[in-house]
Amino acid sequence: MWRLNKARHKARHKAGQQGGNLDELRLKRRENERALRQARRDRQLVSKRLLLNEDEEQPDVSMDTAPGGHDIVSLLHKLQHTGTEKEAHLKALSKVLRDPAAQLTFIKHENSMHLLVGLLTGSNAQCRLQAVRCLHELSHSSHTNVAPACLPATPYLLTYLSGPSTKFTELCLYTLGNMCPDSNVVREKLLAQGIIPALASCIENQRHTLAVVEAAAFTLSQLLQARDAPEKIIPIVLKSTLPSRLLSVLTPDPQFGLAPAIECAWCLHYLICSTDDNKELLAQGALSQCSSLLVSLGGAVTEGNKEDGIELLIWPLLRCVGNILSSCPEEDLNAQLTDAHLPASLCALVQAYLHTLPALARETVWVLNNLTAHSTEFCSALLTLNLVPGLIQLLPFSQGINTMILRILANIAHKKKEFCVQLMQLGLLSALCATLKMADQEMVIQSLDILFMMTVSSPVVAEEFVRQDGLSLLEVLQYNGAAEMRQRSTYLLEKHLLSYQQHITVDNMPDP
Amino acid sequence: MLQPEALQLRTEGRDEQQERRLSESEDGNNPFSFTPQIIRLHKDHELFEDGDIHRHMYLQDLYISEAEDKPALSVSEFACHISGCSAVFSALEEYEHHYNALHRHVCCSCRRSLPSARLLDIHIQEWHDSLFTILAQKQDMYQCLVEGCGQTFRTNKHRKDHLIRIHKYPPDFRFDKTKKERGRRETKRREQKDAAMEVVDDVCESEGVCEVMCNSPSDEPEGGESMETHECEEKASTEDVLAAAQDTESTAPRKPQYSYRIPNTVCFGHGSVRGFRGRRGRRK
Repeated sequence: MWRLNKARHKARHKAGQQGGNLDELRLKRRENERALRQARRDRQLVSKRLLLNEDEEQPDVSMDTAPGGHDIVSLLHKLQHTGTEKEAHLKALSKVLRDPAAQLTFIKHENSMHLLVGLLTGSNAQCRLQAVRCLHELSHSSHTNVAPACLPATPYLLTYLSGPSTKFTELCLYTLGNMCPDSNVVREKLLAQGIIPALASCIENQRHTLAVVEAAAFTLSQLLQARDAPEKIIPIVLKSTLPSRLLSVLTPDPQFGLAPAIECAWCLHYLICSTDDNKELLAQGALSQCSSLLVSLGGAVTEGNKEDGIELLIWPLLRCVGNILSSCPEEDLNAQLTDAHLPASLCALVQAYLHTLPALARETVWVLNNLTAHSTEFCSALLTLNLVPGLIQLLPFSQGINTMILRILANIAHKKKEFCVQLMQLGLLSALCATLKMADQEMVIQSLDILFMMTVSSPVVAEEFVRQDGLSLLEVLQYNGAAEMRQRSTYLLEKHLLSYQQHITVDNMPDP
Repeated sequence: MLQPEALQLRTEGRDEQQERRLSESEDGNNPFSFTPQIIRLHKDHELFEDGDIHRHMYLQDLYISEAEDKPALSVSEFACHISGCSAVFSALEEYEHHYNALHRHVCCSCRRSLPSARLLDIHIQEWHDSLFTILAQKQDMYQCLVEGCGQTFRTNKHRKDHLIRIHKYPPDFRFDKTKKERGRRETKRREQKDAAMEVVDDVCESEGVCEVMCNSPSDEPEGGESMETHECEEKASTEDVLAAAQDTESTAPRKPQYSYRIPNTVCFGHGSVRGFRGRRGRRK
């Protein structure tokens, strides 16, 4: 994966070369992470990609050239007036445009874009390449008014998407992708200029050039994340051939790596979570493909084949499966989900990532909940595949993991009384005796809910609960501050467990 | 719970008996509300935050494969759910310890916590049972506190002597805390104060042996009678348990977050399932 390799080299390179220690790097990463989290909270989470030159290893802005101003003007002047060496000037310009200040200077300069577009569409292939490189640098700007300034170039960029040159196409794509998040106006223009069909045919025609596929999917993902995407963009995308194209590229190529699949998976996630009704995608096999892929990835992870960045692909796939399940009617579930290994793979993923990426583990158990909610078959599978003990062992872990696990166990208990007995045999009652003592109110209430279902199911379960001294736990809860706890525990005691008391003496006879 | 019509629609694969049981339980008072449901999460849901950040770190070339700072996996805490007790624990054993020490053998009438079921029984009998008082005038009703001894005595004092002479209880044992708190205990009972402290006081008050031996009803403050408290195994274990309980209770006890007090008529403890220990006859 060229991205990941580059990142690792950068870290080592920086550490070695500049004498900067890894601590500084770590600090910088943490700062960046904090900024990203804040941006997400503000619904402004945007990232752009910079395609580096072949000779570059890292996108350092440490230029030898003096800050932008004069260079831009002089370069533009040279470009306008010299016949030869345009290519060299353009190359120099692209290097200068790495600097944010220079970018602003450029767009303020009259006719600069016009000049660039002229070179972009000229007869000199090398000039076209360098011109698009300049545009690419501009597109990467964090100033939101730079992208609109590049709009004159977009019709041509779109046209070039069906061209033969890989590098050139990649640059066009990433440039367009970088421009998408910056403004409504840009997106509207791009949509009007046909970016969706252009992307669709690009992926179709270049499906064997995985670098281009990756770039196209990235660009699409930028469009799909826009705030107005559900109304303006997603309907168009769903009507196009893009969904099936994305699905067809989903399986990673062993040689090229995970990158194109990652981009496609994120696109699918944005598509699926934006609409309530995903019948189209279901019909195209989205659920079966995503789940099969999850199974094979889960298998790889379990075997220790944790390829670098594999979770970057697992994550969006989980979300696709989790959300698309809500569009899948119960009766179709088995037809759609052909891979019976899914429950086991999901449980394996939870165990694999519990300590390293708890958020991923949490999303995995969310998917398990959606899988088991309305399906007796999958509930049964969890029992017969002996996956339940592993889930019960996860009950200590908070922040959304144990509450979701209780949901899954409740889903199982809800289906059949035999399941309740089996759950009892697997130790759920003693686990509940512990969860009933937790500080988290939701855990206690959910535990009471499961307990109700289980004790109602069979006298065997009720007796066992009493035998484990569960009644005293319920008594305590009868006088808890929260009404939900009081009502449930009182109801359980009075209606169901009363008859299972083992020591009733005259003194202790309950009042009628 | 699912409405009956909805139940019918979902009979596929569901056990008929389970349904019947569930629907039988569906009266208006049934507070249980769990139904399995598929949870949809939209793009900006907070559950998705970490994954999104991970993705964008990768896009911005900030990804590294080895996690530098391992994100903390948090573990649920345990809390004592007895109204008024705000103790929180990080381990289940601590909770059990706390509960067993402070809440298990509690007398309904005077709220004292006794170290064992047997001592609770004896306490209730000797302190709160009028019949006992009557019978004790004519027969030996005071049991020896040492399990298995079986001897009975006419008065409290006789028993005390027996414990010292035969069972070697040290005569000079003093349980100072108890002595100090005694006068204040009644006034403090209704005050809104640190729940943890309140509970501890109760126990200090009530290390079963000395109370039982002194034979004073709860409403009379203990006067001059020395807490000639005598050590016994139970007492020692109470002390240990107390110490442990004090250690494990959170150092910054929270104020009770709810004011739902347990009525005095209700009592928890071994064997008191739906009965009320120490009270004969009906509760109001």
